[in-house]
Amino acid sequence: MPPRLNIWSACRTLSVRATPLAQWPQQPCVAAAQARRPFSDNLQNTTPSDPDQSVSHPALARFRQTEAMELSENEKALEKLRQASYGLNPYDPVVEGHKYGMPEITAHMNHKDRYGPVVLQVTKLLMRHGKLAKAQRDMAVILNHLRSSPPPKIKALRPLLPGSPPPEQLPLDPAAYLTVAIDSVAPLIRIRGFKGMAGGGRSLEVPVPIPVRKRRRTAFGWILDAVNKKPSKGSGRDMFPLRVAEEIIAVVEGRSGVWEKRQQLHKLATATRANLNNAKLRNFTIL
Amino acid sequence: MLRSLVRPSAVAAAVPRAAWTATQTSSFSTSHAALAKPDNSKQGRKVVSQNQGRGGGAAPKKPAAGERKALRKRIQLSNSNALPVPGLEDARKNDLAKPENIGLVLSIPGQVQDQLRAVEAFKATQFWHLFRNASTLVRAETVDMVQRMEAAAANKQTLRLVYDGPRISGKSLMLLQSMTHGFLNDWIVINVPEAQELTTAVTEYAPIPGTSPTQYMQNNYCLKLIKAIRASNEKLLARLTTAHSHPELPQNIPINSTLLQLTNAAKEPEGAWLVFNALWKELMQPKGQVRPPVLFCLDGLAQVMRVSDYRSAAFELIHAHDLALVRLFVDALSGASAFPGGGVVLAATSRNNSPAAPSMDLALNQRLAQIAGAAEVPQRDPFFRGYDERVLAALPTVHVRRLGGMTKAETRSLLWYYEQSGLLRQKLDEATVAEKWTLGGHGIIGEMEKASLLTMRL
Repeated sequence: MPPRLNIWSACRTLSVRATPLAQWPQQPCVAAAQARRPFSDNLQNTTPSDPDQSVSHPALARFRQTEAMELSENEKALEKLRQASYGLNPYDPVVEGHKYGMPEITAHMNHKDRYGPVVLQVTKLLMRHGKLAKAQRDMAVILNHLRSSPPPKIKALRPLLPGSPPPEQLPLDPAAYLTVAIDSVAPLIRIRGFKGMAGGGRSLEVPVPIPVRKRRRTAFGWILDAVNKKPSKGSGRDMFPLRVAEEIIAVVEGRSGVWEKRQQLHKLATATRANLNNAKLRNFTIL
Repeated sequence: MLRSLVRPSAVAAAVPRAAWTATQTSSFSTSHAALAKPDNSKQGRKVVSQNQGRGGGAAPKKPAAGERKALRKRIQLSNSNALPVPGLEDARKNDLAKPENIGLVLSIPGQVQDQLRAVEAFKATQFWHLFRNASTLVRAETVDMVQRMEAAAANKQTLRLVYDGPRISGKSLMLLQSMTHGFLNDWIVINVPEAQELTTAVTEYAPIPGTSPTQYMQNNYCLKLIKAIRASNEKLLARLTTAHSHPELPQNIPINSTLLQLTNAAKEPEGAWLVFNALWKELMQPKGQVRPPVLFCLDGLAQVMRVSDYRSAAFELIHAHDLALVRLFVDALSGASAFPGGGVVLAATSRNNSPAAPSMDLALNQRLAQIAGAAEVPQRDPFFRGYDERVLAALPTVHVRRLGGMTKAETRSLLWYYEQSGLLRQKLDEATVAEKWTLGGHGIIGEMEKASLLTMRL
């Protein structure tokens, strides 16, 4: 049955409002509110400190106008209901306004990306007995030690990774300091053994390139080995991270024995490079 | 067969008597083996310990006595990596008393740094080692305290003040700032950096002859304290002269010799208490030369408001107030003794490593309520027997301040200082300030340092 065409049915959608409808979206006003909002613990002074400047801003002027209407609690509630009837979310955070605005959406919003990749990985490697908070504190102490010790003196025989920042800039960027140290001593390859292929039950050893995370893990494993062999010079909870930090400085300055390990591994890789031509390996994916 | 018929006594008689007794005693005594000559045949053998076998090399050299602790307690006051902060000025004489300086970071002058270091005002857990120069934030509480100090000095009265508050809220820093003001304005500063060193039975003690009830002196600690006073207040002590002869001292100190000479009389622990007592008498003497104001600070009040870990000759625990050095402090704090030239007795509680002190807590809470003019003052728990009357008697007139968080304006100033030093690598806006303020338990200074300096997110 077709709807009745009646003038009164059209009138039913009209409504009489006691107050003008708020303007949506209200983003400029919210920005203005952020600009003039005082600290939360400031209970006395809630008026803008510079009224002339705030009045000159058109968006703020409009905001103040709407604020001057001073809706009662009941009217505010009705306002919300009205917004809901128009299909708007009455408690939309963008509309309501945030004290400091919405956070910017960036590529690394995930909480797992909170720290840099090297710091994150190394912290997990520092962890013992599942005590992550302890490892995180240790990492913070390591970074603080790196930024309070003098800039490293680089040895010409042990050059850092090409493209790393100059040594005098390293202390104030301790995460870069750590990254440079680890990446500089990280091995490029590992030695993979193919069981029984060298004849006489011996394994055939070939060098295999490894991804960056594994390179870093190997390097930091060597650093931790060196740290665990060092005697502690002091006492207290910060001595372990201090030893790690000292070893990292030693790596950058070329004093650490970790460089020897890397060199030995690379020599072995050069020697076993010839095994890559072995005919038996043809059927294998080496990587 | 016949042998089984032999009497047991006949068998016993057949065994020689000496062998019999030897077998009898050997199972009960080890002295024979201990007294026996060492077996030379085994001397050439080497005992291989587990540690030697592992690395192949010699065991690493062990650190000397005290070296490990020295490293742990090391105080580093500058970091040349940190950037110099533009516009950062040294604190001058009255800077800490000016209300317009609230929220300003001021540098501690080098001379004062040395003095503060001598009295152990810096703590190893604070973050001095990250910054280019030791600097402090002037808080509203700082200005309030320093103004009270100045008023007390001007009126030649003794201000007795206790700082309480949650852990790492800056109580020790308030002591440091008061000492900074004291050194800048030629006060005599005496500081007990850790009260626990006095009462946890780690320093030597001895009864003072002729005292009833017996008082105890701590000569080693007194010597350390005198050395600190001498190193930090040397110029001032050289200006002041003695008003009494001190016949009890081993060394003859005539009247009108300088106080520096008096402190120099303490060269070894023996007699150090007598020298300290003589110095105290000189500072307390009302007539003659006008004495400068004295600042006496103590950190960790709960440690001296309890029964100590020391034992008397009757093996009874000694109350901390029966230790003579503590007694001097407590008398000054309770108002039983006053500095004639004016001064301040300042104590801070510690919430990190302190014993339970229900009497002190009650007394401080009562004072806080009285000062605030509250309608209800906290009363004793009627079901608790552990209140210490001596402690309650020591604190009823003391002035108590409770430290809390910083305001956001102060927070902003502090974070600006971090940022300018190159230690906070973040855009500094209101959102960052609010974030750190919130993460720092609403502006608790130590928590904020942790949130912004001791973090992996740099």
